Amino acid sequence: MMQLVLVLLLAVLFVAVLFVFARKQGTRAEGVADALVSARQALNSLQGSLLPPELVHRIFAREDLDYVSSVGSKEIREAFVRERRSVALRWVGQVRRQVLNLRHFHSGHSRFYAQLDLHTEIGLALSFASLLLACRMLETVFYVRGPFAAPKMVGRMIGTAGVICAVSERSLAFLSRTGQTASPDLLSGSQSGGVTV
Amino acid sequence: MGSITKRMDVQKAAEDVRLRTLGKIPRPLDRFIYLASTRDYNTGLYHHEGLASRYSAEVACEALADCHREVYRQLLFCSLKDLVAQMEAYVDSSHTLARDFISVWRGIEPYRVAVPVDADSFSAEFLFSNFRIALAIVEQHLASPRNSPQAA
Repeated sequence: MMQLVLVLLLAVLFVAVLFVFARKQGTRAEGVADALVSARQALNSLQGSLLPPELVHRIFAREDLDYVSSVGSKEIREAFVRERRSVALRWVGQVRRQVLNLRHFHSGHSRFYAQLDLHTEIGLALSFASLLLACRMLETVFYVRGPFAAPKMVGRMIGTAGVICAVSERSLAFLSRTGQTASPDLLSGSQSGGVTV
Repeated sequence: MGSITKRMDVQKAAEDVRLRTLGKIPRPLDRFIYLASTRDYNTGLYHHEGLASRYSAEVACEALADCHREVYRQLLFCSLKDLVAQMEAYVDSSHTLARDFISVWRGIEPYRVAVPVDADSFSAEFLFSNFRIALAIVEQHLASPRNSPQAA
């Protein structure tokens, strides 16, 4: 009798484990799809809208400040710095958000789709950490000292973001092969890389 | 019509617009306003009768949209100094009083509806920010012409 109860208990336990496992599989498939879409959108946004060198150069162009200082009144100069600070903060905030989306994809799902060796994975993890730190530091610098205070830091940040975008592009390349990529953004066509600001 | 053939037609039509129409409009700002004015507010579709009769309404629409995006990028990447010069020349050529122009552009910000439909919000806000500053400088030049580059 005891043996029968034990076997029944084990059977129930086995079915319960199978049920939980099946549910987890279902959730994972949906989660993976969301992560893929989100990563692709993040990459499109970074490469197409936020990191084109011409745009970054324009946002942080010192020549604009020099021009406004030479022709504008004190009020106009202050308004200009206020406007550019707001643009710069918005820019760095959006870059940070999209980088977080990419990191989420890499930390959870990318290894299922791309064969990244350990060296690349460690390098990528360090790049993500340094980029997110740089974003926070830039936010502070822009807020305290204005948008034109850290051109070199912006340039370095763009370089690191370019590396991350290139690796992410490789990890998501299978989406392009199956024609599932979103249409390129308005400012697409410029691969983010080093930029002089 | 195959998509490649259609794309080639769009490129040809866009080249046509650049040569025959935009080539006669001197500045990116003027081209930007012109191209935005060919777009229907309700449908977002661009219309150009001459171009549509030569190609098709659909090809004409896409060609104008391509040109609009191109000019938008030019404006986005131009320096503030350049933008101010373009705005001053635009006011001169528009046959409106500069004060009225500034008042309307500052009040209802018509440039907000002139960006391409698929422009991302960040770049659009950046352009609007540049327009606001350029307007302030144009207004200051108007108040004290001595500071204007035209007076120099």
